[in-house]
Amino acid sequence: RKKMSQAGNLREDTEEAGPSVDSENPEERIAARRLRIAARSEAKKRQELGDDSREKKEIKEEARKSQHQVEQSEKVPLGLCYCYDGTELVTNIQVAADSRESRRQTEVEEAHRLRVEKLENEAKSSLEKFEEITRKWTVAKMKEIPQDLRDSLSSQQQLCALLIEDKNKLIHELQKEMKLSDDRYVKDLKKQAEDVDLMIERMEDQVKFLMGSYRDELDQIENSFEHERKILLTGNRKKWEQYTKERRDKELENVTQRMKRVEEYEVLLQQLRTEDTEEYNMIKIKLDTDVQILEQQLQQMKATYQLNQEKLEYNFQVLKKRDEENTITKSQQKRKITRLQDVVNNLKIKCANQEKQSREENQNLTDDYTRIMQQYKHMQKKMRHFAAIDAKKFEEVWLMNEEEVKALVEKALDTDRLVHEQQLGLAWQRPSLAFMERCGPLQPHRQTQKTAHQAISELLQLGFSVSLSFPPSPPQGFLIESKLLKLLSPLEKDEQSLMKLDSIFTVSYNVTAICMLCHLELAASHQHSMLGLGGRDDTEDAAYWEAMGDVIPEAKLKIWGALEAALDKYHIVLTERSKFITDTQSLKQQNTELRMLLHQYVNSRVNAELEIPPNLVMQLAPEGTN
Amino acid sequence: FANSNISPGAGMYPPVAKLNLAADPRKMRRIIAEDPEWSLTVVPLLSNLCLQHIVRNFEEKPILEELLPRHKDYVLERLSPSLPLQVTANLISDDGYWKRCCKQRWGLCDVSSYGHSWKRMFFERHLENIIELYIPDATDPKTVLGMVPLCRNYVKRLDISQLMPPIKEPQKSEDDDNSDSASDMGMDGPSMDHFDFGILLDKLNHLEEFHVVYRVKGCGMNFEWNLFEFTFRDCESLAKALKSCKTLKVLRIHQSKVDDEKCRQLVNNLLDHPSLRELNLSHNLIGDRGARAIGKLLNRSKLERLTVYDNNIRGPGAQAIAYALAKNSSLLSLNLRLNRLGDEGGQAIAQALLKNRTLKWLHLGGNEMTEPTATVLSQVLVQNNTLRSINLSCNRLGMDGGKVLEEGMCHNSSMVECDIRLTEVGQESDYCISQVVRNNQNQAHRKHNTEENLAQTSEHY
Repeated sequence: RKKMSQAGNLREDTEEAGPSVDSENPEERIAARRLRIAARSEAKKRQELGDDSREKKEIKEEARKSQHQVEQSEKVPLGLCYCYDGTELVTNIQVAADSRESRRQTEVEEAHRLRVEKLENEAKSSLEKFEEITRKWTVAKMKEIPQDLRDSLSSQQQLCALLIEDKNKLIHELQKEMKLSDDRYVKDLKKQAEDVDLMIERMEDQVKFLMGSYRDELDQIENSFEHERKILLTGNRKKWEQYTKERRDKELENVTQRMKRVEEYEVLLQQLRTEDTEEYNMIKIKLDTDVQILEQQLQQMKATYQLNQEKLEYNFQVLKKRDEENTITKSQQKRKITRLQDVVNNLKIKCANQEKQSREENQNLTDDYTRIMQQYKHMQKKMRHFAAIDAKKFEEVWLMNEEEVKALVEKALDTDRLVHEQQLGLAWQRPSLAFMERCGPLQPHRQTQKTAHQAISELLQLGFSVSLSFPPSPPQGFLIESKLLKLLSPLEKDEQSLMKLDSIFTVSYNVTAICMLCHLELAASHQHSMLGLGGRDDTEDAAYWEAMGDVIPEAKLKIWGALEAALDKYHIVLTERSKFITDTQSLKQQNTELRMLLHQYVNSRVNAELEIPPNLVMQLAPEGTN
Repeated sequence: FANSNISPGAGMYPPVAKLNLAADPRKMRRIIAEDPEWSLTVVPLLSNLCLQHIVRNFEEKPILEELLPRHKDYVLERLSPSLPLQVTANLISDDGYWKRCCKQRWGLCDVSSYGHSWKRMFFERHLENIIELYIPDATDPKTVLGMVPLCRNYVKRLDISQLMPPIKEPQKSEDDDNSDSASDMGMDGPSMDHFDFGILLDKLNHLEEFHVVYRVKGCGMNFEWNLFEFTFRDCESLAKALKSCKTLKVLRIHQSKVDDEKCRQLVNNLLDHPSLRELNLSHNLIGDRGARAIGKLLNRSKLERLTVYDNNIRGPGAQAIAYALAKNSSLLSLNLRLNRLGDEGGQAIAQALLKNRTLKWLHLGGNEMTEPTATVLSQVLVQNNTLRSINLSCNRLGMDGGKVLEEGMCHNSSMVECDIRLTEVGQESDYCISQVVRNNQNQAHRKHNTEENLAQTSEHY
């Protein structure tokens, strides 16, 4: 099978046109296998038909020769039944031995049967004889004559001997048989040995024959493989040569191509070189000019550098000087600082003094405050007293005013009546005036009093709470700012406490100031409320007074107006008359006076001194004026 | 070279040195090409020295598994084959070592019949030797039992070709009488029992084949009947041993005078055996009752091959076997050669074959069958498709029988072998039958080939 597969592979290698088993395409592989199976079955059929067409096949299917050879070789021993015949030859011996054995068995069986029969017969006959003998013994016992007894004994003996002889004969026969069978056993053994020898011989023959035939087949297979190999070799060599030739050609071609290309490249290189040199020159010139320019620039730069250096040096000198100055100023400053330190110390001392003073001042002020408070209380007392007096006064004023107004009303009414009756000539009727019956101020409301009380109580409470929230000796730190504490930390303890106290006092001073302000405000509000005691409800009063005012109605007023206007006019006229009268009187007086004066003037000596005496002018003037 | 070296000082120095140099030719040579181990270095490697030491002291301190593979090979090559088995049995698995052991002990060895395992061969043959030379009452059973732990993993087959009887001097005269009725008399007289397999078989847990013969080999002129005894007690112990051996597949008891009683005893213990595939009781004395027992066994086991040729089975026994065969579906091969079935048995077997569909190989040679059997067999040839081979040689079928068979053969297409030699059939029918058989053979061959091709093609995928 392996050989076959190898052969198949070889065949597949040679057979390039058809589908290959080694192909990658599975369908192609299937097709290839189908073809192969078909070919094999065909070959088998041909083999069965028995036409020895090996030669034909070899010519016809050159490519598959080796495979067919292998198949044929496989079939030869089967087809021709060498093997079968050979085994038959060998087994013939066994079969013959078997048949002999079976025959022997039957014979032995038969002999055994006969023997048993014979033995049984013998046993029967001998038993009969024995019985006869025993019977005769009884007869012999009966006999008393010695001679008879001897006869009978001898006859008995004879009989016994006969019996024994029979038995012996039988034994002899059996022994003979045994010997025969022994001989036969030996013969059988010999025969068996011969058989075995024969069998070995035949087997060897057969092995030799088979070996020969297999060798032939092997040779043939080898030959066919050799042949195939040769064909393959020549074919492959041809292919090889072809390929080498192709390769050579290709290489030649390549070489020529390469040469050509080399030339081309050389030309190109030359061209490139010239171009490059030109370019190089150009670039060189350009760079040279560049270098020159740059050198110039460098010179310039150097000059500027020189300049800068000088400037800087000068600056450096200046700075040095300044530095010196600075050092001087620094020392001065230091001195100043020390001095200021002294000042600070002094100031501190002063401040302490100041604080002492202010504390004293404060003490004084608090004393003042208490005093003022007492005064204030006095004032309050007084104020209350005055309020009561005011109220009384108010009432009295009120009553007085009312009285006055009523009188005025009466007067108005009177005038109205007079106007009506005297001026207009109309009948006058007195209007109903209810309020005229009333007297005294309108009753003030209780509520305002209450509010005053409340205000007082509130004020007291507030004052109390303020005094609570600012106890006279607050805990240390409550009134000190954290910043201050930080600042104080580097100072000494005494100093610290001093500063703290200072700050506390400033704060407490502020607080007291605030408190004072509060008190003042409260007092003001209190006062206001106290004033509010008199501040009664003015609306009714206004109405009351309005009603009083409105005693003369609008129409009447109009009438009055018109009358007034007319009277005014009349009055004006009258006044003008009077004026004119007075004027004339004054003018008369003036005239007289002026006459006197003129007289005086004219009569004075001065006039005589004058170049142009006023008389002349007067003559002219009185002529003009007159 | 040697001479020139020695000659100047020959007179001066004692001859010892001269002799020493000459005695060891290796020392005289520069290169020893034939020795692959030879090396130019004068001082051997320490590793080699260690390995040599290990080899020398292997019996006291076996070190093998810890070594590197290279060193292992070195040690195994040098170990002596005569080391005690207690050391080597379970330690060395290398076949090379066991090959050397086998070659040293037996010379001629055919390892192919031992599954190409030299170790298995060594232990099987070693155990067989021990059992074959075991003499009851004289040999200590420990010699056998001591081997069990060493060889139980390697022994697959035991082929005992002889079993020694116990040695008895005084009872010679009685033995002659006993030989006629051996089985019964074995009980009273001093024991004639052989080696008791009961102590061994259940311990060999890889045993698959067991062949035994209760006889003595090559006794020559010392022949006595009592050397060839298979006593009832032997049978009993053997039967029990076989029952205890669960792995057994093949059992063969040849030429051991197994008669009906012993056969029944054996079969009784083999009923429902889990693995038994092949039973061979040839060259014995089994009669009809034994055959009946075997028939019973056929359907109470998985037997595939049954061989009982050269026995004494007659018609009734054959009928019993045929009855079992008709219902059986495991037996593939049946050999009843050289029995006395007769037409009665032959017909019964043929009738059974009409029903059976598994038997492939049948041998009925030398059974005194005649024409009536042939007629039934021709029916079988027509109806049965499974039977591949039939052997009817050495039966007196006669011309008519041959013709009947020829007729049956014409309708058959499965028979590949049909042996009708020495059956007195006519040449014509012989030729016809052989022709049909050849056709069938060709067909079978072709079928086989195509199947193989298909298998190959499927393998290719």
